[in-house]
Parts: sequence; C-alpha cells; structure tokens
Amino acid sequence: MDTIIIDGMSFSLPLLIAAIGCIYCERSGIINLAIEGFMGVGAFSGALAVVLTSNIFPQGGIASFILAMTCAILGATLFSLLHALLCIKFSANQTISGITMNILAIALTTFLTKQINSSLFNKPSAKLELGITQKFTIPYLSEIPIIGAFFQEIYIFNIVIIIVAILAWYFLYYRKFGVYLRACGDNPQAVAACGIDVVKTRMYAIMISGALSGIAGISFAYSIFANFSSNIYVGYGYLSIAALIFGNWKIIPTLFACLIFGFSRSLGYSISSMLELPSTFSDIIMTLPYILTLLLLIFFSKNNKMPKALGEIYDQSKR
Amino acid sequence: MKKIKIPLISLGLSLITGIIVILLIGKNPLTAYQNLLQGSGLLPKPSYAGYKNMFTDFMVFLNTLTPMVFAALSVVVAFKAGLFNIGVSSQMLFAGFIATITIGYSPLNGFIAKPLVIIIGIMAGALLGALIGFLKYKFNINEVVSSIMLNYIVQYTTSFFINTKYIDVVSRQSKNISPDASLTLKNIEIAGLKIDIPLGFVVAIIVVIIIKIIINNTKFGYEIEAVGKNKEASTYAGINVGITLVKAMLLSGALAGLAGVTYYLGLNLSIQPRTLPTIGFDAIAVALFGNLSAIGSFIASFIITIITKGSAYMSSISKVPAEIASIIIALILVFSACGAYIKLKKGAK
Repeated sequence: MDTIIIDGMSFSLPLLIAAIGCIYCERSGIINLAIEGFMGVGAFSGALAVVLTSNIFPQGGIASFILAMTCAILGATLFSLLHALLCIKFSANQTISGITMNILAIALTTFLTKQINSSLFNKPSAKLELGITQKFTIPYLSEIPIIGAFFQEIYIFNIVIIIVAILAWYFLYYRKFGVYLRACGDNPQAVAACGIDVVKTRMYAIMISGALSGIAGISFAYSIFANFSSNIYVGYGYLSIAALIFGNWKIIPTLFACLIFGFSRSLGYSISSMLELPSTFSDIIMTLPYILTLLLLIFFSKNNKMPKALGEIYDQSKR
Repeated sequence: MKKIKIPLISLGLSLITGIIVILLIGKNPLTAYQNLLQGSGLLPKPSYAGYKNMFTDFMVFLNTLTPMVFAALSVVVAFKAGLFNIGVSSQMLFAGFIATITIGYSPLNGFIAKPLVIIIGIMAGALLGALIGFLKYKFNINEVVSSIMLNYIVQYTTSFFINTKYIDVVSRQSKNISPDASLTLKNIEIAGLKIDIPLGFVVAIIVVIIIKIIINNTKFGYEIEAVGKNKEASTYAGINVGITLVKAMLLSGALAGLAGVTYYLGLNLSIQPRTLPTIGFDAIAVALFGNLSAIGSFIASFIITIITKGSAYMSSISKVPAEIASIIIALILVFSACGAYIKLKKGAK
C-alpha cells in the first residue's frame, strides 16, 4: 500500500508540473506539443551540471540538487525561447514547431551526451549516470495509517513541485498576469485593445512552460530513473499533454488526471508483483491507466473546449 | 517552382549547418556527405562484399523507404482534415501484428498470402484510425489524447500476446513470418547478385498517385480540405463534418496500416515487443518537410531516408557520429517551419 502511494506520487507530480506549464502556454493561445523536448533539454542540462561538478558537490546532496534544478530550469527556458521565436516571430504553424522542438531536443541531447561522454570520461555511452536525490520522511505525520505514506520517503523534488504548482495555480487564477494571460488565449485582440502586450505575454507563457517542464525533466532523471538518456522522458511529455486536455485546460482537473496516470501505474506494478504473476502479465496491467482514461473521456469530454484563440497566429492588423 | 523553394532553402541551410558541426568535431564534411549517398546506394562504395554492388544497396534503400512513404501519406491525409494523427505508430504496430498472426504464420502460398497481408493491413489500420475519428465525432475526444492512449494500449497488448504466444526465445522478438507472406523478396539471385526486391515499393508509388488524385480531384478530398480549413463554413456548405472526420481518419489509418505491413512483414520479418516504431513519429516531420502534399512527402521521404539510412555507413567509415544525421533532419524541420515567415516577407515586398 505504502509503495503504491510513494511511487504514484513521484510519477504523478513531475507529469503535473509539466502539464501546468503547458496549461500556461496553451491558455495564452500557443499550442505547445514541445513539452517533451523541453523536459529533455531540462533533464540534460541538470544532469550535465551534476556530472561535471560531482567532484565538488557529492551526487545526491543538497548543493548538487539545487544546482541541478537551477540548470534544468535555465536550460529548458532557453530552449523554449526557440519555440517562442518560431511561433511568435516567424509565425510558424505551432503544432509543427512543437513537434520540431521534440525531434531537435532528442537529436541534440543524444549527440551531446555521446560527445561529452567520449571526450570527458572516455566511455562511449549515451547515458549520464546520476545518483538519486535524498529522500526524507516527515516525523509524526508519516505514522498516520494509510495517509501517512504521503509523508514517507519524499523526494525533495516532490516538495518543490508542490510549492511551484500551488504558486502557479494562484498566479493563473488570482493575479492580474494570469487573467491577462488567459484572455490572450481567448481574445488577443481585446487584450491588445486594453493596452497589454500580447506578444510579450505569450512569450512569458512559453518561457514559464519551459521552466516548469525543466523541473519535470530533472525530477524524472534525478529520482526514479537515476540517469539521463533520451529514452527516459520519451512519451511522458505527450502523456502530460493528454492529462491537460483531459483536464479541460484547468489546473485542478489536470491534477486528477495526473494522479490517475501515476497511481494506476504504481497500483498495476504492485498488483502484478503481489500476485506473483509472470512478468508478461504486467503488460496487460500497464494498459489499465490508458483504458481507464479513454473510458472516463467518453463520459466527461462532451463539454471540453479548448481556448478560443489556440493556435491562431496573432496578427495586430486584424483588430 | 514556388512550392519547392522553401523546402530547398531549408535543406540547403541545414546541410550547411551540418558542415559546420562536422568541421567543429574535426572531421571532413564532404566525405561524410559522400558516405551518406554511398550508404544509400546512390554513389558507388570503394568495395563491396560478395553478391553485392551499388544496385543491391539501392534496393535495400527502397525497402527502407517504403514504410516511410506510407506513414508520411497517413500524416498528410489527417493534417488535411485538420487532425493530428500522432497514432501512426500504434496503427502500424496493430496492422503488422494482426497480419503477422493471421497470414504471417499461415502455410498459405505467396500468391495468396501477399495480397491478403496488404488487405488485412489496410483493414486493421483503418479500423484503429476510424476509432479515433469516431471518438472525436461522437464523444468530442481530442484526437491527440485518444491516439496517445491507443499508442500505449496497443503497445502493451500486442507485447502481452507476443510474449505469451509468439515469442522466439533467442531473439526476444516474435517468431519470423514465413517467407511467402513477406512483402520483400529477400536475397533473390539475379545476374550474380543477391537482391532484395521490395514489392511494397511498387504499391507505394501507386498509392502516392491515388492519394494525390483523391486530395486534388475528388469531392471527398475537397470535403476533407474544407473541413480542415473551416468547420463552420463547411457545415453551412452542407458537408457533414463529423462523418468527414471519421472518413479522413479511416483513410489515414489505412495508410498507416500499409506502413505497418511493409515495415513488419517486409523490411523486418518479426515484431519487437513493447516498442513502437519510430517511423510513425518521424513521418510527421517528413510530411511537414514535404509541404503536406502527396508528391511532396514522397520526395521528402526519399531525402530523409538517404540521411537516416546513410548515417550508419557514414559513422562506420569516417567515424562521424550517426546522431549528426538526426540533427540535420531536425534542422531541416526548424528551417521549413519558418517557411511561413519567408512567404509572408515576400508578400510584403
């Protein structure tokens, strides 16, 4: 039971933070399929920083953690500027640009990882080995039956993600910036008429999405997977996009979607190990989260509506 | 001429960037590019193994190219209807799996088995594609989400069946299909050469022409494009938007199914469990590079396959890392995504 909760949380939370970033971007009117690419570049930058400084800051320690986080956020944000450049400045098709970012991210990170490994460490591997960041358990709270598991063996990442997620939620719904941002996605012309810079707002939205995906990427790399290679994040970017569409571009329902993915995954794993089924049966169990999601969507997506101006290239002269 | 200008510019710019990168890691870019063409059988290599020459290399290249052409067409058809088919990979896997277990392991002779493989592939792919369209039409489920969910579901379910029933314990893949069911005739001895003859490639050329005609010259093609451009206007014009979406996904899935059978029962003879073919995702890129047209995606598949296929030879001969190839492809895409801007600027002048 405990492991289901612990594993479920450490898988759902990175998905959630990436999805929230994507919500920011899409609510501002920019389609963002590039989450996966942002996550990858973030994870790569963070992992690289950890590996390069492992002599000074021991892997798994607090200093190394902070460094990894900072570099992941910086790297992913910088990379997201490329998506911004293509979507805003070069009026590229946003779907196309997003896919391009993913392909570019995989190509670049694999190439660089190999080059760095062979020139600095003399080994021909496409992996950056990482430790696992410290886990800690909150005393007293963790002793409550069942719910206590939420407070056991928490990665520091999870705490950071929860704090950032709450802040992101607050800013999107209760601050002026969030209101403007959401308005940009529904009626950019009206926002511009109020004297607010649509281009700048959208640019910030893309950068926020980059930064948050960076957190998600390094969280995967520096905790459950304990290495960086291009196949640790493939698929998860699209999964978090699925979560946010499932959540109708709203943060709270998206949280539930991410929890469904995370918990049915960990539940599936522990059921198959509990029943001592041969490993082939885990395949059948692994389909559960996705079948469940499809079924839920059949009942709940009748009223799904994407932001009105999503994907439209902003043209000032249209006003 | 106008149409191919932007793809050409992007190709040129990315090849130049590739040259710079290769120079930076201290290798000779010209030999590297020459190796790409040699690896694809478009230029002669300095030496060949027995029974092989440039022509056999070229046939292998065509064999690799075939699934890519179908997959790119699949993306194009969906895109025309304003849909984003990110599920090409699972449609491929599903079609390949169904064709493998029904025909691949049957004792049927080649003249019956090969057409059946193609028909079953088309039907299986179309079924999965139409399901995505139906979910969108009936329940308003975004096609991106349902395709991603189906990607996982197909990947794990087929893996379960392969691992329990059809596994080859040595290769950890599904058992090889019978040569009669394969869409590629392997190692045929002609004039002292051992040649792979990809029959799927002939089908691919026919299908490219059919799709071009459907898109440009039929009512159905017109309806698809109208729905893709503006759903409200299409409704006013009397087009049934929902049905058109389902039909477009059906066609897109059928093409993905063809990609699947040529990939799993032609290029390969077995299925690797738990793995989606990356072609399904690369095809999105190829279709975009090909200007989202039928002929365009054929040419784009050709160019991109030269780079991917040749990269193995390049890295083995001149020790340029094969990943350079994927960087060049990514750059081609980045530059062609900026195509709209180049058009816009020209309009302003």
